[in-house]
Amino acid sequence: MRSTPPSDTVPYARRGVALLFPGQGSQQAGMAVGLYRQHPGFRDLVDQVFTAWGPGAKAVRDDWLTDTPRVPLDSVGRAQPLLFAIDWALGRMVLDWGIRPVGLLGHSVGEVAAATLSGVFTLDEAVAVMRDRVEHISGAPSGGMLAVRASAEQMAPYLHADVVVGAVNGPRQVMLTGSTEPLAESERRLRADGFTCMRARAVNPFHSPALEPAALRAVPALSALPLRAPRLPLYSGYSGAPMTGAEATEPRFWARQPAAPVLFGPALDRLLSTGDLLLVEAGPAQGLTALAKRHPAVASRRSAVVSLLPARPGDGSGDLAAVRSVLEQLVAEGHLASGAEAELVGAGDSR
Amino acid sequence: MSDATEITIDDLKRIMRESAGEDESIDLDGDILEVPFAELGYDSLALLEAAGRITREYGVSLRDDELDGVETPRAFLDAVNAALVRV
Repeated sequence: MRSTPPSDTVPYARRGVALLFPGQGSQQAGMAVGLYRQHPGFRDLVDQVFTAWGPGAKAVRDDWLTDTPRVPLDSVGRAQPLLFAIDWALGRMVLDWGIRPVGLLGHSVGEVAAATLSGVFTLDEAVAVMRDRVEHISGAPSGGMLAVRASAEQMAPYLHADVVVGAVNGPRQVMLTGSTEPLAESERRLRADGFTCMRARAVNPFHSPALEPAALRAVPALSALPLRAPRLPLYSGYSGAPMTGAEATEPRFWARQPAAPVLFGPALDRLLSTGDLLLVEAGPAQGLTALAKRHPAVASRRSAVVSLLPARPGDGSGDLAAVRSVLEQLVAEGHLASGAEAELVGAGDSR
Repeated sequence: MSDATEITIDDLKRIMRESAGEDESIDLDGDILEVPFAELGYDSLALLEAAGRITREYGVSLRDDELDGVETPRAFLDAVNAALVRV
């Protein structure tokens, strides 16, 4: 493993830190469990989410921590709360280190975590939004998502009312979304035409109009919240640009998100156009890390990306090492005092 | 189709570069044998595409499950070369 990024050997001015939060599709069995067991600070933060969640959180936590979950991890009722909890707790941990990010950007549910950290929602409000969302979407039409190595433009011949582009993750990385049979038909045609395709881990057509009626049922609950303008620079995967105060305080903007297309690639472009950055992925699977690595700003080593969790959870022993490696990078770039990594991670314990 | 009986890290780097689009950039400089694919900009979809190119170019058949758990170029080469011998 390349434990220190190549940027170590290149002279640079101090780069701003930006946090990336992954969404649906990034969930993995055993994700962040090693960190939860070995890092008391992270554990306390995740437990704050479970406490706020209230009834039902115990079942979510039990399924997360076991090898034999009763409800599959890919279901909305497991993937969404756990991704929110892990993303938010990792981001909160970094803020608590004293890092002041110059940008926060989340993919899908990751945007709710980013918005919470930037003050749009309190944690309790965000958890209420997530609970509401899970409840509405659990009854939504079934379907799926298909990752395709292609540009959004190339997808035009394969789209119709029931299959749309649900996410533009990069210049040659898109996700189609749709109900089960029409999506399977698009997949057959794409494969026949030589496109590389892979099913994403979703059992609903996220980011498709099919989800809109269910998603909009969240409007009343969101309207009752005192939504606030972001206090930290927040980039939206829905506009591909910095989130305005007007967007952040508009209930429909949040309600529609599970049904609206994600423009993560354009948003990342915009974020990286602001200057040389140290991107830190705060969530499982390193999917956003891989996307960022293909961006010219990162491939040229002007900007860099590191991840707080390993690409695969393994037996959990790599989690703490990943956090330590990010801390070392933050120290090396002058964001934290030398020795901070030892104090912040400590030896860990094994509660 | 090549009739090579072994592919090397340089072959793999060439294929990885070819599978990147013109509007994408990847950094494969230096010793990448043990560098996890995610850190090289390859998620499972991009890796699948590179594997598809190798399958066609070298006439080797790789089952999808043979790429499960393959996290580094070294592990990838081991899987492909084992399949090449099998052909």
